[in-house]
Amino acid sequence: MIDSFPFDEWSDDIGAFWTFWSEDKTGTYIMTVLGIIVMIAAFVYWTWLEDRKLAAQAALLRGAGGLPAPGGVPPGPGPSQPPLAGPSTDPGD
Amino acid sequence: MLASAFSLLAQEAPTIEELKQQLDLDSLIMTETFYYWTVVVMWLIHVGFMAYEAGVARRKNIMSTAMKNILTIAVVTPTFYYFGWYIYGCFEEGWPKSGHASPDAVPGFCGLTAPWSSGLGPNMESNLTGHLSLVFFLAFLLFSWTTGSIMSGALIERVRLSAYLLLTVVLGSVVWIMDAAWGWSGGGWLTTRFGFHDSIASLVVHGVAGAFTLGVLLNLGPRIGKYDVLGRARSFRPHNTHMTLMGLMLIFTGFYGFYAACLVIQSTITPGWLNIYLSPTTLGAIAFVITFGFAGGFTGGWVASRGDPFWTLSGGLAGVISVSAGADVYHPSLAYLLSITGGMFAVWVGTWIERTLRIDDAVGAVAVHGFCGFYGVFLVGIFAGGYPTGVNNVPVSFGGQMIGILTFIPLGFLPGYAASWVLKKLNLLRVPAEVELEGLDMAEFQQDFFPEFERVPETVVLPTGEEVEAAPILLEALAQTNGHRTAVGVSEERRTP
Repeated sequence: MIDSFPFDEWSDDIGAFWTFWSEDKTGTYIMTVLGIIVMIAAFVYWTWLEDRKLAAQAALLRGAGGLPAPGGVPPGPGPSQPPLAGPSTDPGD
Repeated sequence: MLASAFSLLAQEAPTIEELKQQLDLDSLIMTETFYYWTVVVMWLIHVGFMAYEAGVARRKNIMSTAMKNILTIAVVTPTFYYFGWYIYGCFEEGWPKSGHASPDAVPGFCGLTAPWSSGLGPNMESNLTGHLSLVFFLAFLLFSWTTGSIMSGALIERVRLSAYLLLTVVLGSVVWIMDAAWGWSGGGWLTTRFGFHDSIASLVVHGVAGAFTLGVLLNLGPRIGKYDVLGRARSFRPHNTHMTLMGLMLIFTGFYGFYAACLVIQSTITPGWLNIYLSPTTLGAIAFVITFGFAGGFTGGWVASRGDPFWTLSGGLAGVISVSAGADVYHPSLAYLLSITGGMFAVWVGTWIERTLRIDDAVGAVAVHGFCGFYGVFLVGIFAGGYPTGVNNVPVSFGGQMIGILTFIPLGFLPGYAASWVLKKLNLLRVPAEVELEGLDMAEFQQDFFPEFERVPETVVLPTGEEVEAAPILLEALAQTNGHRTAVGVSEERRTP
């Protein structure tokens, strides 16, 4: 498959489209727009995820029957809420 | 060996034109290399800010504090690339005169600052438009990170990470770079019309970041328990003062890169070193001033705080910021004397902000960066009046400096206040009160970052100087209005368990 791919025929066109190789800036414009979209999506996700984490922890603390001790360590060895950070450990995912 | 020597002698001597081309190329390579290494050194500023602020934070907020500094890089870099650099290149006259047209003072520069331009890509056609634009961009990007980090420390222990990141985009990729276009470029309207002089960015980086931070702090409010019911300030113990001091020393190291990056050098085009306004100076001159600025600042901070370690080192930062605006023209002794006053003012203004205005600035950023940034530009109007600035050689004047100050106070403060006000109304500015009491690290990361060390009861220092257990005080403060005329920003529902 790799050996049969027409690199020589395609490479110039691909390079010219996606890099600063030629005067054709179509690829540059596409990458710019894609970059801006991804950047905005990352901002929205950051805000949403943090809001979810904070709301979950605040609800947990309120549900514990009293205000938390300042700087207190949660009881037990594990985290006080299901971890929202890090890769999923659920084999069903 | 002998054959090689004869071979060399037999070669035709290079022509003057060939030598000139080689010299031009060597000069370009030297310039690009120089700015590249300033960027490397300036990374230490951000290492330092991270250590500095994490050290000031209480143990329960260490990682949430450090992550703000790290993610500053993640958000300011793309936003500065997509629109921040364009603002610098094209808004020197206040607004682009004809769309994407270049300003007259720097022909062609505006067009090289758009993200799709040849100036911001690996363009091999021209060293000048390709490589140098990229390293200039990177140097300015590091300045942009710095503005975010200046704000970061003031907000710790109660601001949401996402809110901080959105605010730092506004500051780092819009506000500061707009003021840089106006007053920190060869074609900026404040420079070309009024001779505004702020050569190493006292105001355009530090002052404006401090003004922006002040606007945010008014909406954010103090940490729970910071003030008692009479409005007197309590103190929270930093979890690691040594880490904070080490962070400050790293910031100072990075400042040498910052100072160097504020100069312009291109030996075959310019007659040696130039400041940002393209007026002559030398690398030695600014290195001298920065060093004396630290010396004077430490002295002033130590004297005014009566030996407090945090304020002694913060005084060094304040001292340097106070003399940065005139670092290209000041005599070392003048820099020493002025930086002593800067270090002292930082302590006094910081104390006034905390105790009289009751604004909880956790690291004194508004005093050190904000006040001393504006103070530095003010001093240039007095001590460097008449010095020709910029390509038009407009003399520095007290009036011109004041016009800059009066322009940049609202430019910094109003966006900070407005953006944080919107976030506050959306309930996205501050963490819930319960989370703040427990510590942000548990909510954000679900873990304590010193797992092997037993946690001792948190303490707080009362206005009388007595150190007592924090829990009853903080819980009581939560039930009240935090002893501040501005509520802490949590709803009644959240105050009641």
